Amino acid sequence: MSRGTENLIAELVEDLAPVRPLRLSRGVALALGGLTAIVAFVVGLLGLRQDVRLGHFDPVFLLGSGLFLLLGLAATVTVIVMSRPQVGNDHSGWAWAGATTALLPVAATISLLGKSSVGRSPTALEHDIDCLLAGTGLGFVVLAILVWWLRRGAPTSPERAGLLAGVAAGSFGIFAFSLHCAINDIVHVGLWHWAVVALSAAIGRLAVPPLLHW
Amino acid sequence: MRGDEPASARLMVMAQAGDKQAYAALLGECQRWLRAYLGRKVAPAQLDDLVQETLLSVHRKLATWDSSRPFLPWLAAIARYRWVDHLRRIYRADEAALADELAGADEEPAIAARISLERLFAQLPSAQAEAIELVKIEGLSVSEASQASGQSESLIKVNIHRGLKKLTAMIEKA
Repeated sequence: MSRGTENLIAELVEDLAPVRPLRLSRGVALALGGLTAIVAFVVGLLGLRQDVRLGHFDPVFLLGSGLFLLLGLAATVTVIVMSRPQVGNDHSGWAWAGATTALLPVAATISLLGKSSVGRSPTALEHDIDCLLAGTGLGFVVLAILVWWLRRGAPTSPERAGLLAGVAAGSFGIFAFSLHCAINDIVHVGLWHWAVVALSAAIGRLAVPPLLHW
Repeated sequence: MRGDEPASARLMVMAQAGDKQAYAALLGECQRWLRAYLGRKVAPAQLDDLVQETLLSVHRKLATWDSSRPFLPWLAAIARYRWVDHLRRIYRADEAALADELAGADEEPAIAARISLERLFAQLPSAQAEAIELVKIEGLSVSEASQASGQSESLIKVNIHRGLKKLTAMIEKA
């Protein structure tokens, strides 16, 4: 052992303090706490959509919200796993949920192609953009929690971790806002709700990695 | 640490609880293992620095090891991360001689094969691996590497860039 390494080890030993290992369950619980907070915010301050309040569930709402919730959960678990490095880890499980959710914009596009007029009324477009901004904004709560967790951890692929944190944040953000959004049109849900995930993923991929290098 | 995964894991559990004596023993074993592990993939004069950087990372990220999982693949993931980071930073190394042994390989062939740097490297396309090997590890200039490999200088640069990007994405892959 070189003298430098010997000294370093002595310093590190001197500096040792007890640590609480990062637990998968604690990370997931924190992210779900963030999801609960934004759902409570949407339901409490913006109001639950009327049909759900009356006990009527539209299939497009159920399918869209369910897929975003599942994608959010899958991406969140993957992000939390990525915080603990281990040769042999597999971070690809979320991709199946991502591929399934990608059916929404495909269905929306096919549906659009079948229509004679593809124009959106100014009111509809305004609501589209509201959903995009609100879903993305709400997702920032979850994104902040995941980035904080990742910074405590040791992600070996900051780029992918940032991307997935964005996917999780966007999915949870639009899931929460879809409890308020009253539109059941597949074009709106498939394109604009999905765009929240795409936008959040891009933000996560571009903005988060510099915060994660260690 | 040579093949004694359970002993390392026990020391790590004690270190996480703040046991300095166990931590000193663990870091001593870690540095021996890291020297052998990284010795084949960096120039000898850079080995000390890389081992020390990895030990620092181990210290900072102590909480990221989970006692329900094996210790060595955790240490190897950190070492791989530091190694790829090192390759990114080093453009020219003067030394080309390589250290010659990978301790632990005899005792734990399955784990050693699974976490070896060679295995990681082998997953790169050969042109990318060759470009990184020549420039980042053996310390040739881009033009020397171009002559040695038959790749154009711009291709050498592109292959290094793409190869390092791929290595980053594969750090935890076995």
